[in-house]
Amino acid sequence: MLFAVSIYWHLPLMLLIISLVYSATRHEDWDEILGEAFRWGIRMFGFMLIVAVVLFIVSFWLRNPGS
Amino acid sequence: MSSASNASPTPHETSTVAAILSYLIPGLGQIYQGRFGKGFLFMISLLGMFTLGQAMGNWQNVYLPPPDVRGGLGQARDLPSSLMTRWQFIGQFWIGVSAWPAVYQYFKPDPVEPDPSIWATFQRTPNEAKVNEFLVNSDKTPDLGWVYTVVAGMLNILVIYDAYAGPMFLPTPRPTKPSTAPQSELRKEGIA
Repeated sequence: MLFAVSIYWHLPLMLLIISLVYSATRHEDWDEILGEAFRWGIRMFGFMLIVAVVLFIVSFWLRNPGS
Repeated sequence: MSSASNASPTPHETSTVAAILSYLIPGLGQIYQGRFGKGFLFMISLLGMFTLGQAMGNWQNVYLPPPDVRGGLGQARDLPSSLMTRWQFIGQFWIGVSAWPAVYQYFKPDPVEPDPSIWATFQRTPNEAKVNEFLVNSDKTPDLGWVYTVVAGMLNILVIYDAYAGPMFLPTPRPTKPSTAPQSELRKEGIA
């Protein structure tokens, strides 16, 4: 159901580009760039996952107020 | 410890030319400085993100609303109110040349007869009724589209700064391996 909505397929691309470009402006060495990009990617994915879970719970609760 | 391991990385020299080039086309300043890998990374990812964002918004999300008064100083005076109306352009502008058609369209008067050519329509303020119809019949993709274009523009500010002053953190110097040559040979060469 969640994955049928196409907007969610665009988010990983944004996450990848933001983490790579941001890290490349902070470091010069490719090992450091990729390491920092990976760490930022994980942090942003975790943040988005938490927001998604909270929104899912809120929407579930709004649809089923008695449960 | 050898002198090579003590040497700190050379600080990056500031370069206004590289900063301007990176504003015009993301990554061009880095390529000008010989930092090809980073230059092409910035160019492909930011221009790709900006173009994809425009495509997701049906090429109707990068524009400046027209001024109330056409021609003369009135047009420039209306610029702040146009930016207030379409605040996304403040972020999109930093992608460089790719957002200049919107500025051109802002100053270009309305054609006397409808002109469907790309020069007359690209990044020009879209027809409100058509945009509303498009948004009503779409999912959230057009909304994410303008976010893409704004994020690409904002990221290019970091890229411009990287071209101007170098990365935030200079490469960590790597310690060299200790020499395995006997001490007597090193003394002969005057190293030890």
